[in-house]
Amino acid sequence: MPIFYHDDPEWSDIEPLPQDDGGLHPLAAIAYADEYSEAMGYLRAVMAKNEFSQRVLGLTEHIISMNPAHYTVWLYRSRTLSELKASLHDEIAWLNPTALKHLKNYQIWHHRQTIIDGINSPKGEHEFIATMLEQDSKNYHVWSYRQWLVKRFGLFDDKEEMRWTEDMIHADVRNNSAWNHRWFLVVGGRDGKTLPENVVKREMDYAKSAIRKAPQNQSPWNYLKGIVREAKLPVSTLKDFALEFADMRRPDDIYSSHALDLLADIYAEEENGKEEAKKALELLASKYDPIRAHYWNFRKGLLDQSGVAA
Amino acid sequence: MPPEMQLCVEKHVKYIQSLDTRKDELEYWLTEHLRLNGLYWGLTALHLLGHPEALPRAAVLEFVFSCLHQSGGFGAAPGHDAHMLYTVSGVQILATLDAFDDLEAHMEGGRLKIGQYIASLQNTETGTFAGDEWGEQDTRFLYGALNALSLMDLLFLVDLENAVSHVQSCANFDGAYGTSPGAESHSGQVFTCVGALTIAGRRDLVDEEKLGVWLSERQLKNGGLNGRPEKKEDVCYSWWVMSSLAMLDKLHWIDSEKLTSFILQCQDPELGGLADRPGDAVDVFHTIFGIAGLSLLKYPGLIEVDPV
Ligand SMILES: [Zn+2]
Repeated sequence: MPIFYHDDPEWSDIEPLPQDDGGLHPLAAIAYADEYSEAMGYLRAVMAKNEFSQRVLGLTEHIISMNPAHYTVWLYRSRTLSELKASLHDEIAWLNPTALKHLKNYQIWHHRQTIIDGINSPKGEHEFIATMLEQDSKNYHVWSYRQWLVKRFGLFDDKEEMRWTEDMIHADVRNNSAWNHRWFLVVGGRDGKTLPENVVKREMDYAKSAIRKAPQNQSPWNYLKGIVREAKLPVSTLKDFALEFADMRRPDDIYSSHALDLLADIYAEEENGKEEAKKALELLASKYDPIRAHYWNFRKGLLDQSGVAA
Repeated sequence: MPPEMQLCVEKHVKYIQSLDTRKDELEYWLTEHLRLNGLYWGLTALHLLGHPEALPRAAVLEFVFSCLHQSGGFGAAPGHDAHMLYTVSGVQILATLDAFDDLEAHMEGGRLKIGQYIASLQNTETGTFAGDEWGEQDTRFLYGALNALSLMDLLFLVDLENAVSHVQSCANFDGAYGTSPGAESHSGQVFTCVGALTIAGRRDLVDEEKLGVWLSERQLKNGGLNGRPEKKEDVCYSWWVMSSLAMLDKLHWIDSEKLTSFILQCQDPELGGLADRPGDAVDVFHTIFGIAGLSLLKYPGLIEVDPV
């Protein structure tokens, strides 16, 4: 049911402002659907006289329901809430279903941060995030927002946060966003301080067991190599593990191109490993990742040049 | 060339021209907040297709100026608040049309005013840029700001060193970049971060090989590129990924023939335009990124595009 304002007594004191479109020329004449066009006319009018009121909240809600990507409307709503000292909990209750309807919208998240920052508590946010991720478990806005919550409320060492992240990875071991969140908690929260040995071991074991479940999955390989580098361990630490998936004596039974890639690095650093390294790169170029053959051949070229791969 | 490897240039030109006459469609006013952006995309695509005259210069400039505020910022359309994204589009359009003199005629000292508006959105503590006076921050805005300022030769208005160190703080363990420190790596963000560092003359800060590997890993078996590990391919990433690879001089690390044929499969051969993947509905956004991608791949007949 469309909503109109021109015969609504509550709005009789307002004369809607027409769109200032800089004269009617072909590129500027903007044809709105009637309902949206009228509502915007009333918004321009209340903005022009700096009105902050309950009915402005209603009006902005109406416009957002038609077009949630209009940033001006969100900004004015946000100002109105703060001028009225309106209930922020009510605002969140309204935002929840709105966000679910518009999963890819940018403005909603910015608005939400402002409101939750004002409420000064993350209570209820985890349930809401869970509902959002049910729709799209890799939604970038949702994960960025989750990181903001962790930072804002100091949840880096929160056991629940870690358990939840593990559940997300368990539900889909290929969810790179969840892996990134784990890194954010484990490494990001340490502000450059070195990782304790037990944490390094725990994280390596965790990534390894995920790789054993799906050896061709990029995310845990990136994670594993990242941890090894962060802990300043040599890549050769991972040699036995990589061999589980790529034994060059059986070139037809390679289970992971990532393992081959890693072995090429490890062999290249070994004293007499150049030939083995080359073999691994050739397998990648010819059979296990031919779409990037140019890159693998480039790596092979480096071996010939220097004797030690970069 | 076999027909499935053919780019339907005339159809795409018609499609882009037709966008402006579809005003009565619901979709049109829903995306109305994107107007200045959309105009920039359409204009760029027409330039690459070799048909810059298809959108009349005078009418485009009149519209662009009607979005310009006294503050030096541009809104998405007349009557909309000024915002970084649209200000960048405004400047890009003016640069594409070589219209900075027209700008001065329309608003005295306009170039400097726009530069100062952009500079005023920099957070002097962190080096980041906000999208508007309300403070939403994102590396997209930072890249946009540097891009627009360099087009106007006004980079000296901002604290470059601080901006560069913010970009560096968005680097991730996998060698790529996210929207803010710690945020997941994403092709679009890689483009904005590498682009910003390139403009700032600090490409030396990029781990070129590691990032090149991450970018080349975006290519999937069907030739298309994705935006993040373990996600689906999409035409718009052809642009983000390839232009980043081009800036690193590693475009040859991906299979260009397979990518070309993937992009061409996303065309609507009857009505023109390109979609995100074969069989989906076309839109202006994917049309320009697809065409820009083909131009980076040196597709015959297209004007070559500058990756930055
Ligand atoms: Zn896309």
